[in-house]
Amino acid sequence: MSAELLDLSAVEIAAMVIRGETSAREVTLAALVRIEARDGKLGAFTDVTAERALAKADSIDALRARGAPLGPLAGAPFAVKNLFDVAGLPTRAGSKINRDLPAARADATLVRRLESGGAVLLGALNMGEYAYDFTGENAHDGPSRNPHDLAHMSGGSSGGSGAAVAGGLVPIALGSDTNGSIRVPSSFCGLFGLKPTYGRLSRHGTFPFVSSFDHLGPLARGVVDLALSYDAMQGRDPDDPAQADVPPAPATPTLDEGVRGLRVARLGGYFARGGDPAAFEATDRVARALGADRVVELDEAERARAAAYLVTMSEGAALHFKRLRTRAGDYDPDVRDRLIAGAMLPGAWIVQAQKFRRRFREQALALFRDVDLLIAPATPCRAPRIGQKTFVLDGKEALVRPNIGVFTQPISFIGLPVVAAPIWSAGEALPIGVQIIAAPWREDLALRAARALEREGVARAPIARLS
Amino acid sequence: MSGEFDPYALMEAMAPLLGFDLGLATREQIAVHLRIAAEQAAKLLKEPLDDADEPGPVFTA
Repeated sequence: MSAELLDLSAVEIAAMVIRGETSAREVTLAALVRIEARDGKLGAFTDVTAERALAKADSIDALRARGAPLGPLAGAPFAVKNLFDVAGLPTRAGSKINRDLPAARADATLVRRLESGGAVLLGALNMGEYAYDFTGENAHDGPSRNPHDLAHMSGGSSGGSGAAVAGGLVPIALGSDTNGSIRVPSSFCGLFGLKPTYGRLSRHGTFPFVSSFDHLGPLARGVVDLALSYDAMQGRDPDDPAQADVPPAPATPTLDEGVRGLRVARLGGYFARGGDPAAFEATDRVARALGADRVVELDEAERARAAAYLVTMSEGAALHFKRLRTRAGDYDPDVRDRLIAGAMLPGAWIVQAQKFRRRFREQALALFRDVDLLIAPATPCRAPRIGQKTFVLDGKEALVRPNIGVFTQPISFIGLPVVAAPIWSAGEALPIGVQIIAAPWREDLALRAARALEREGVARAPIARLS
Repeated sequence: MSGEFDPYALMEAMAPLLGFDLGLATREQIAVHLRIAAEQAAKLLKEPLDDADEPGPVFTA
């Protein structure tokens, strides 16, 4: 039974722990055994916090023995991208340089909140260096691999998060998403991923990348797990100055209400060209299943992507400016050279990008007067092979690393909430994701739609059979 | 704009000012990224924004 526990969802594991059909310790031991057995192939974990996990599990079992109430995630294992602070570990953020930092003295807010809900932290996960990545490759720790085909990318920069959940090591992982770093690994690894509204979840205790559009969120194999973990992490955190002062809005209570009455539209124009046919076929299936009865356009999405690209280069370079001058040789060269280029960009470009950002946001908000949800591809293609440097985008050869986010960047640029839903085609070994985009603060609607797709069998996130 | 853009000229001017000591391979890759950035800037700037457009914080969507 122990091994099969890890094939269950977090909510199923928690129900068994609460009913006394298994213990948190048994679940944790099963997770540790599975990590030991599978992670050599996946490269998902950089740190396994076994001692801490067993202590937490024992505390949950002790609570149950006393008859105390348990949280909704009681005993469910989770892990976090290694840009989250975990007490006792240096916060690597995928880098060599940060390993020289002192160990974190406290956990990130979201780690604490998931543990308050009963979840058990199993460790920290591989990621692209300093989150400037869409591939899941890492020059220092090796690539995290796509569990559905180990020769292919997991996606980045939350690549270890994607690999750990799709590989059945944990049912839930946390990632960060600046330009697509939750949605891309969700698409490549076949998972549900939530990038909430900018300012919804606390970022306290995490290493930044582009602070003006950094988001944190969960990846899971089921929408109930996604919503439960999201709900557990909500709430005001005075330690995060960028968090909005909005009340928590639990998504779980309305999760099964379906999409009847919701106005769903497919994004056309920029979001309907340039990618592989697979991206648009998946989007078609989702649009049909959700009853999308019209196509709408975000007229200036291409400019939005361009602006996001420039702001990312510039803000990222500003964050790393001192390190680039003193420790350039310790960066992954692919990351370093993009950051150095970012430091050289003319200021006028960046100010224009920021001006445009407000205009584009207003255009997007206007769309939501007439629709509740927008549908668009998550990635332009299925997962490329590890090491692949170029691919065909819009009929031209383009670099993989800067361009996988063409459909995700315009959306995170203005902070809209998105759920990525995984779609499979018959005969294909790899999935591809579709974005379900909602108005600010309406994560509940995007999650409802994803749940409807899951219940109808349109979207699904199976554990990979590692070969 | 990208047709006129010379990434090496920008790089040679900026690197010493910013305190970067660049090797040959690094220069080639930085030039690639500067060219991509210039292409993105050309898309962004193809239609002028109004002088009165406000660039202030929009970070809470």
